[in-house]
Amino acid sequence: MNMEEKKENKSQAVVEVIDSGPLKISGNLLLKDLKKDITDNSGEVYLCRCGRSGNKPYCDRSHKK
Amino acid sequence: MEREKSFSGNRKYSNKEITVYWKPSACVHASYCYRELIEVFDPSSRPWVDMNGAPTARIIETVNMCPTEALTWKWNDEERNKTVGNDQTNHIKFRRPELIEESTPESKENPVSVKIMADGPVVIKGNFTLIYSGNNKEINESLISICRCGASDHMPFCDGKHRHIGFNG
Repeated sequence: MNMEEKKENKSQAVVEVIDSGPLKISGNLLLKDLKKDITDNSGEVYLCRCGRSGNKPYCDRSHKK
Repeated sequence: MEREKSFSGNRKYSNKEITVYWKPSACVHASYCYRELIEVFDPSSRPWVDMNGAPTARIIETVNMCPTEALTWKWNDEERNKTVGNDQTNHIKFRRPELIEESTPESKENPVSVKIMADGPVVIKGNFTLIYSGNNKEINESLISICRCGASDHMPFCDGKHRHIGFNG
């Protein structure tokens, strides 16, 4: 999807809090993990919100276990 | 729900080092992927790709065996993609060059900053749309702090509880 118009306040990404699940962020994003030295601009990430993932900051579905 | 679907009907799966793209429509069921590395590519699981199932080098090796463009990959560090040789048959620049532009950071202006704080919340800053309990809210040049430890009394937002519970992440 192309961003035809780049206005100052145009929404660059969608941040979705999934009920009883991870945080989904998609769009033009630049993720930095200050502890693990991770940089991610893949355009779509699912971040752990339950604290139990074995692959933090990403979700590994541990919330379902 | 965690299956990652982008606008083009493709899916992608990442670990810390690489992203694997899956284009279902291109698959001819040659079966190299799961015969070679069932720990990662398990058609009976959902999602069927588990990027934590094997070391990155094994995943790359297996993706390169795919005879179509159904499975392709790239480094998350864009600099490394520039020097990938054509022995890496299924790197996106050989199989799916249309994905290169999508992943080139230089072409993107004003990205939303997503900072994973050490042992703390995720702080998201910039212009973005927040979807929460079915509501959409436009956040302009501002920031939110989302709980990562699971203990906040003010979900989904951080309330500082991570310190009380000694969150490590």
